[in-house]
Amino acid sequence: MRRRRYGLSVTDTAPALLLEGLYKRFDTKVAVDGVHLEVPAGSFYGLVGPNGAGKTTSLSMAVGLLRPDAGRAFVLGHDVWADPVAAKQRLGVLPDGVRMFDRLSGPELLAYTGLLRGMDPATVNQRADELLDVLALRDAGRTLVVDYSAGMKKKIGLACALLHAPRLLVLDEPFEAVDPVSASLIRDILTRYVAGGGTVIFSSHVMEVVERLCTHVAILADGQIKRAGTLAEVGAGRPLEEVFVEVVGGRTATGDELSWL
Amino acid sequence: MAVNRPGALRVFARLKLRLLANRLRGSSGQVVLFLGGVAVALSFTFAGFAIFIAPAFSDPEVWTLVSGFGGTGLVVGSVLLPLLWFGVDDTLDPARFALLPVPRWRMVAGLLVAALLSVPAAGLLVATTGLLVPAAVHGGVAAAVAQAVGVVAGMLLCVTAARAVVNAFASMLRSRRMRDLAGILLAVLGAAIGPAQLMLMSTVPNAELAQLARAAEVLGWTPLAAPYTLGLEVAAGRPWAVALKLVITLATVALLLGWWARSLESAMRGAVASGGPKVREAAGTSVGQLFPRPLRGLPASPFGAMVAREVRYWWRDARRRANLITIAVLGVLVPLMVTLFAPAHPANQAGREGTVEFSLSFSGEVSPLLLWSACVFVGAFAATVMANQFGFDATSYAAHLVIPVRGETELRARAVGYAVLVVPVLLVAGAVLAGLRGQPQDMLAAWGLLLVGFSAGMAVNMPLSVLAPYALPEGSNPFATASGSGMAKSFLAFLSLLVTFVVAGPALLTAHLLPQVWPWLAVPAGVGYGVAVVALSCYITGDLLEHRRPRLLAAITPKG
Repeated sequence: MRRRRYGLSVTDTAPALLLEGLYKRFDTKVAVDGVHLEVPAGSFYGLVGPNGAGKTTSLSMAVGLLRPDAGRAFVLGHDVWADPVAAKQRLGVLPDGVRMFDRLSGPELLAYTGLLRGMDPATVNQRADELLDVLALRDAGRTLVVDYSAGMKKKIGLACALLHAPRLLVLDEPFEAVDPVSASLIRDILTRYVAGGGTVIFSSHVMEVVERLCTHVAILADGQIKRAGTLAEVGAGRPLEEVFVEVVGGRTATGDELSWL
Repeated sequence: MAVNRPGALRVFARLKLRLLANRLRGSSGQVVLFLGGVAVALSFTFAGFAIFIAPAFSDPEVWTLVSGFGGTGLVVGSVLLPLLWFGVDDTLDPARFALLPVPRWRMVAGLLVAALLSVPAAGLLVATTGLLVPAAVHGGVAAAVAQAVGVVAGMLLCVTAARAVVNAFASMLRSRRMRDLAGILLAVLGAAIGPAQLMLMSTVPNAELAQLARAAEVLGWTPLAAPYTLGLEVAAGRPWAVALKLVITLATVALLLGWWARSLESAMRGAVASGGPKVREAAGTSVGQLFPRPLRGLPASPFGAMVAREVRYWWRDARRRANLITIAVLGVLVPLMVTLFAPAHPANQAGREGTVEFSLSFSGEVSPLLLWSACVFVGAFAATVMANQFGFDATSYAAHLVIPVRGETELRARAVGYAVLVVPVLLVAGAVLAGLRGQPQDMLAAWGLLLVGFSAGMAVNMPLSVLAPYALPEGSNPFATASGSGMAKSFLAFLSLLVTFVVAGPALLTAHLLPQVWPWLAVPAGVGYGVAVVALSCYITGDLLEHRRPRLLAAITPKG
């Protein structure tokens, strides 16, 4: 049985992330309706979907932020809900729409994150220094994160997610509200991370970014995975945006609306 | 939204009513708390109404007293209670209207209408309509009509005053430069209640009723009680005074509205207008920077990091700071009041000959048990803030779900982080108390009970904070609360105070039954008992926290 295989034995061949039948309902609305997803180790995985499709809810359940009503999530073979310590040690997360401990400065936040993970202080200092340099956050000095720009906040969030050298990065909308320079820097770092054997799964609205970066893609709509596979399999020679609109079912303007504009 | 057209005030009113109604559609716990709040507000309203109606069955001098002092109490209370405890219902956060083309004065009027449509404002209005009855009895229909106008003007004054002062303090606390000044001002304001009340009480047994009535008349000529004494003036045959007092009231309201409008503008601009902070160069290692200098001895471990973060947050987060200031105010105020009210301990009387005894007490002999209970109360009150300790973190708390953190370690770190800041305040409170009583050993006795009260309170609030957390509204106003959450806070505080007194009972009894021994036992016993109960509570609650973290995060995530 698949669950047994991945749940009990941790092997190098285990997928970086495995979601099995995740289901979540808020009052009467079903937000996620049985999501199955297998993210191969070493892949750069894009999760795309319209607003309200359940991307954030799915990723929140995958990383332990939200308890699913049904289903399981495994990080490199470790059950996120049954064995959270093992799973979360291998996981770096950049959530969207949640604040960080932003009344700390960048260096303080990195130190806090590293020590909270039980890392050795010398290692924390050394990695924090490198991350602050690479992500061009050194100049912010003792400025509190709450006073950072949107791009800087994403970058310090990414630094926190990378600090303990996780094997899987789960990023919710990492490029949203980020200026092109910061976005390019984040792309470079993620590409190098994947080239070094890490796995990235990120959600996005921007098809171009997904097409440019990802090896794999999944289209999520109405709380279900509609298509998933390598970029070539899902796209089948067509632009991703075209496939996306076809799968999700968009509305085309006729030209008669908004005539008052 | 048609907020830039005449009649747009209705939009604000309907929006506020809709938001109030939506409170009844939340989780059942929230609904129960909201309805509980309404029930408590109703009982206060009824009590207020009874007080204001009472002069109808007495002579007119009592009417003067009740309207003068009662009105003053209402206006002062409207200003201080939101600052010191309840916060203000900031459901309609001005920052949310920043992008809409709403002229500033229409915005002020709209927010005023919304503020008037609240449970406390309605309670205030109903309670003060009680004044119409003595007005009708002693002054006839004309007096009742004048008083009706006064009641409405009074409500307008109370609501405007509360808003203007709270917003002014909020803007001060937002600005890093001004926030220390805001803290000091708040402390002075809060501490002023004590002496004022003492002055009032001290006059009661000695002064003639006529003297008091004169004082009430003077208050009636200040904005504090002017609107509530209009009926009196009609009954006294001074219609010109009615007009003058109405002018005093409305002019005050206008001034307060102007003040509010100014702070509103900065609230609407929010962080955008702050111009960006000055960048200060970081010095030292990242880990070194996390730990404040006095905490450098802490281990660089998850526990140490959480203690350091908690201490930084209690200092840097305006909302937490406002709570700390309240505790500091109360910590000094309660011992002050109890000492001045409570006569000397009979056992200590001999040693205090020649000292000036306060003869302000009007209730006769007060047991020293009251004094020790006050110490436990101050300690326990300081700990009530912990009842919603996770609420302060809001969505930042997600970090503790993504990183595996042991629940017990986290709770211990939170307790230590808070204690680092509060215990010195409690020690000062104990010293103030001993200083006032002129008995050095009282300091040790008080320290012991303050520590017992504080630690017992923390022990009680740990599970409460995990089981009944609630969201605080986002935004830069540290006094903002969601509709009804003032009552949630009060209910939880009341519950925790009640249980804390049970937990602290053994120490309190020992202090009472063994007055000679307790001062020497107090500090070691207080520390030992405190560490034990807090450690036990963290141990028991730790697993609960680990299990409930996702639910906790959902509960403290601000809605909307």
